Amino acid sequence: MRELINWIADPIRSFPIACVLFFLMMKYYRIIGTKKFLYASLVVVVPVTIWFAADPNFFTILILPDNIPIIILLVLVAFLTWLTIYKAAVNDARIEKGLGPLEGTPENREKVWSWPNLVYTELFMIIAATSFLIVWAILFKAPLEEPANPTWAPNPAKAPWYFLGLQEMLVYFDPWMAGVVLPGVVVVGLIAIPYIDTNPKGNGYFTIAERPVAMWGFLFGWLVLWIYLIIVGTFLRGPNWTFYGPFEYWDFHKVVADYNVNLSEFMWIKWFNTAMPANMFVREILGIIISLGYILVLPPLSGATKYGKMMIEKVGTIRYYIFIVLLLLMMSLPIKMVLRWLFSLKYIVALPELELNL
Amino acid sequence: MKKLEPGMAYDTNKLNKLFAFLSVLFLMITVWVFLDDYIRPWKAVQLEAMKIKKEMIQKKLDEAEKEINKDKLSSLKGGLTDAEKIVSSRKKEISKLEVEITQNQKLLKAETILNGTLNSYVGGLTFKYEQAQLKNKSNKAVVFADLKKNKKLFAESKDRMKGYSFRAKELFAKKQGLQKEVLDTDKKIKAMTIKTELLGKALAKTNVDPIFALRNAPMIDYLDPTLKIQQIVLNNIKDDRYFQQVPRVDRCITCHTFISEAGYEDQPNPHKTHPNLDLMVGKDSPHPMKETGCTVCHGGEGHRVNDFTSVAHWPQNEEQKKEWVKKYNWHEPHRIPSPMLKLQHTEASCVKCHQGVEFIPGATVLNEGRQNIEKYGCYGCHKIDGWEHKRMAGPSLKKIASKVDKEFFKNWVWDPKSFNPHAMMPRFFGQSNNSEPKHMVKNIAEVNAIAEFIWEKSKAYKPFMKYTGGDSTRGKELTGQVGCLGCHGVQGMEEVSEKIGAYAGPYLYGTGSKVDPDWLVSWLKKPNHYQEDTIMPSLRLTDREANDIASYLLSLKNKKFEGYKFEPMDEKSRDQILMAYLSAFDTEKVAGAKLAKMSDRERTLELGYRSVGKYGCYSCHNIDGFEGRGPIGPELTKEGSKPLTQFGFGLQKQVEHTRDGWIKAHLLDPRRWDIGIDKPFQDLTRMPNFYLTDREAETMTLAILGQVDEKIPLKGVKRLNSSEQIVEKGMKVINKFNCIGCHQVDGYRGDILAQYDEDLNEGPPRLVGEGHRVQLDWFHYFLDNVYPVRPWLKIRMPSYNLTDEERNTIVTMFQYKADQKALVDRSKIVDWKPGEKDAAWKLWDEMACASCHSAGFNNDDPQAPNLYFARRRLRPSWVKKWLLDPQAILPGTLMPNFWTDGESTSPDILGGDPDRQIDALTKLMYDFGTEKLPTENTKYWSKQ
Repeated sequence: MRELINWIADPIRSFPIACVLFFLMMKYYRIIGTKKFLYASLVVVVPVTIWFAADPNFFTILILPDNIPIIILLVLVAFLTWLTIYKAAVNDARIEKGLGPLEGTPENREKVWSWPNLVYTELFMIIAATSFLIVWAILFKAPLEEPANPTWAPNPAKAPWYFLGLQEMLVYFDPWMAGVVLPGVVVVGLIAIPYIDTNPKGNGYFTIAERPVAMWGFLFGWLVLWIYLIIVGTFLRGPNWTFYGPFEYWDFHKVVADYNVNLSEFMWIKWFNTAMPANMFVREILGIIISLGYILVLPPLSGATKYGKMMIEKVGTIRYYIFIVLLLLMMSLPIKMVLRWLFSLKYIVALPELELNL
Repeated sequence: MKKLEPGMAYDTNKLNKLFAFLSVLFLMITVWVFLDDYIRPWKAVQLEAMKIKKEMIQKKLDEAEKEINKDKLSSLKGGLTDAEKIVSSRKKEISKLEVEITQNQKLLKAETILNGTLNSYVGGLTFKYEQAQLKNKSNKAVVFADLKKNKKLFAESKDRMKGYSFRAKELFAKKQGLQKEVLDTDKKIKAMTIKTELLGKALAKTNVDPIFALRNAPMIDYLDPTLKIQQIVLNNIKDDRYFQQVPRVDRCITCHTFISEAGYEDQPNPHKTHPNLDLMVGKDSPHPMKETGCTVCHGGEGHRVNDFTSVAHWPQNEEQKKEWVKKYNWHEPHRIPSPMLKLQHTEASCVKCHQGVEFIPGATVLNEGRQNIEKYGCYGCHKIDGWEHKRMAGPSLKKIASKVDKEFFKNWVWDPKSFNPHAMMPRFFGQSNNSEPKHMVKNIAEVNAIAEFIWEKSKAYKPFMKYTGGDSTRGKELTGQVGCLGCHGVQGMEEVSEKIGAYAGPYLYGTGSKVDPDWLVSWLKKPNHYQEDTIMPSLRLTDREANDIASYLLSLKNKKFEGYKFEPMDEKSRDQILMAYLSAFDTEKVAGAKLAKMSDRERTLELGYRSVGKYGCYSCHNIDGFEGRGPIGPELTKEGSKPLTQFGFGLQKQVEHTRDGWIKAHLLDPRRWDIGIDKPFQDLTRMPNFYLTDREAETMTLAILGQVDEKIPLKGVKRLNSSEQIVEKGMKVINKFNCIGCHQVDGYRGDILAQYDEDLNEGPPRLVGEGHRVQLDWFHYFLDNVYPVRPWLKIRMPSYNLTDEERNTIVTMFQYKADQKALVDRSKIVDWKPGEKDAAWKLWDEMACASCHSAGFNNDDPQAPNLYFARRRLRPSWVKKWLLDPQAILPGTLMPNFWTDGESTSPDILGGDPDRQIDALTKLMYDFGTEKLPTENTKYWSKQ
């Protein structure tokens, strides 16, 4: 069983599984968004977690001081996601019946004073959160380690927990892309959301039925591309950033077979059976065409579809194109991951001469 | 449900209660923060130390009180009341005097003020006047007059002040005179009670009283706490904090409270005194705590005081580990590249600062380990900085064909220990990683090829003597007597060989099954005839003696080994191995073509050549064609700092996951890392098995652990001064020629003396301050022209094949070691005073010098050196020192002491003055002594 879980946990298998689970969750959110489901899943998850923790190797990883916030985060994320879906399910059921969202009922529309109702309670939360942090720091001896030693980096060298997802991207992308461009796009994209999303539905209440694109798109990026990668980075990446199953001992000397080939090498050597051209642009021509096509041709094409036309009508042309480019950039991560696993593809465009690898 | 006020989502009362609860919670957490910060493990330790100190002082106080003579004290106290009575009778005078004293004090104070004022005027005016001068101001005359006036006033005031001061002293003395009786008695009482008083004060400091509580109270304990972190800042030793070198800070003494104080030896850790205060930590030791600190030797994170584990303490063994886990919740420290050395490995650190020396006094285990490294010649295959001067560990193979036969050679190379259980040559074959038949057949091919190659290279040699047979009983006797055992263990004399533990030469075992008889006698007679650079000296054996010894050695046989037939070479395997070599950079086809071009013989020789290179034979043996080749093993200079992750533990789970665990396991069985690992033949681990004992491996591990990559600034390390450098250079030479195998040099080694533990005087002379004992020109001559100085000794000083430089180095070394750098001017020694010479002869007779130093005086067998030769040999200043107290120089010597405690045994001669008597005797010796230097053939008995 443990062997099986170790085997399944490899991103090659667990990423598609995560995608399928996400799809199921969104598809059957009415079932998931019930208290019954919550209790049932607790009955399953709690013993399974205990069983996981009973393994000495997994337990070692679990109790690393750095990992404790991640565990808290995971519990919170799971619960809050369920809460979102639950509320959305309730509201959507009401909306179907023509009742409007729960938050829209007259008794929920009553106004109250922000002092003391809001400010006072915020103060409580400030005190409670500070207390929590202090107790945490005392109990777990907030680690203050040795001065950094450039000749003796920790192995695995892990980013702070909130960046572990980004670090996982380094496996699939050039550092320049994974470290600078994509995170930049994430930040810009998040800032841009209110300007792109002009759908007034869902203000002040949760709903999936009334804003499917926003919910599906955002939750996919958040749960699958961010949280899932943090989980992988925390629990499944050991020394040398090699993959380790949750029950596997972090053997420093583990070696995994891994040899990656660029798209241009596939094209010239394998398909055309010729030497690589000397000119780098000629050499990478296929990758360049594909990349440009992906980012320049796909948006107008999508705009021409029935669905695209509908969207453009709703939000306007510029908003639509910005949205679609952001979406494409987001999707480049899972696409690249799948290509890596299926074809050992290193880079689509490999121009180390220009520090440009895609 | 209670109805809420309009505009409210919550009940205000409830909110307030929640707020109150949270506030109290937060307050408690804040208190917790301070407590958590305040309660530190080391404070408990220091409190415990205080208790121990208190008991200690109390004990001393009790003792001191016992020492006080109670009767005398009470009588003194009684005397005090009497004295007080006497003094009080002078009450009037005293009170009058006191008034006068106060008066004088007032005057002095007033004058001081006036004087200060005037001084400031003078200063101000001086500046003003100088400025006026400079700018040539019109008022300069006025200013000058003013200055003059004030200077005069100042001088007058100063004079009055002196008067008052003098008066004050006078009055004070007068008052003391009036109180004399009381003061004297007080002084006497004080002298008796001062010790208890001081101890009492010290004891009071260990009390836990309100002041103590206040000084150490939370929050205000930053002001002047008594419980505090103690630290040593080492300015000479820098920690590399990446991009910055900072002085090392050791805070170990925060908990190891009494480490530098004697008297706490029996306390439990951490309050124990350092076990070796004379050498380490002690104030007067060569490594005082304030300069050396703790972690320089012990390692570990000296700046940390968080808790027991953070310091990177490391248990000595499993037992202690269990104890620590229980007691201190110990676990392996995280991310510490070099945790504390296990206690038994502490000596490893000596090497950090004491470099370029042959041995480090006091570091016994380290010296043993380094000796073992020397014994097995580790430095041959592994470069170690500071070991470059060592000679090759094995004999030259340049003429081997004339010494042993090829069959012997192959069997020996295959398994040296099966021929000689004491062999120092390690075993390469039949190990845990190459015992499978597919490996064996290749190894056999390699050994065959090596033999062919070596024989091909071997130059012709013809022994110059013929073995004519001899008396093996006498040979055995001679072997045990003349000094062979200083360098060789010998079969048939196992017990004494083991006692001596010599390793400079091979253990002579089964020699008869090994060497050619003619070769052996020639070798014994003149070793450098066969090998020019051998360290084996000539013992000036006669032909008879050489034959006798040879006959004994030839009688040592290993019949079983003689019966071994070495497997012939499998040509297919040979070609396979060669293919692997040839195809390293070529394709199989090209390599195959190359191989095809070679003849059968060429192939064998090629494999032989490659195999000698592969196994590093040339590292220990001189072989033609390998001059200047680099060593095959990894460098060990910084092995002790190699990151643990770089040690390949293979599948050896039982090996302790530490640096020393790996090194020791590696030394005991170097091939273990290959077990269960799939490797091609040419990549199998090659480090041979030395079959070390556990002790040898342990000491060598320690020595290797000391090879660390830690830069101690020059200021911090032991730097040899110019004399010490010369001495060290000489030590290297006497180590090379194994002089210390026989001679103990100022307490160091003298291995063979173990044979003479019943009577040290039968063994080779111990060299104590030898540079002071002998004249340097004599010494220089002697090393090249050995003649018997002590003919009653059976052991012989050998004749070495020293170069001029080596001989000079040895002589200078002894000179500098004894701080005797000058030649002796012999013409000035004998300068008789009237009657002195007669007195000297009288002393000579009375002390019966000639009864032992009989050579030249009578026909008795001499028991002491010939004094006729002393004129050229001994330094007069040493002779005097020797005569005064021979035992002080050589404990156990037969030379009697005639001037015990400065009392002469002949009080009638020269007034019984030891100095004059010794002087006279010394002169006498140089008077009758001969100038001519003896040679090997000089009759020892003669007067010359």
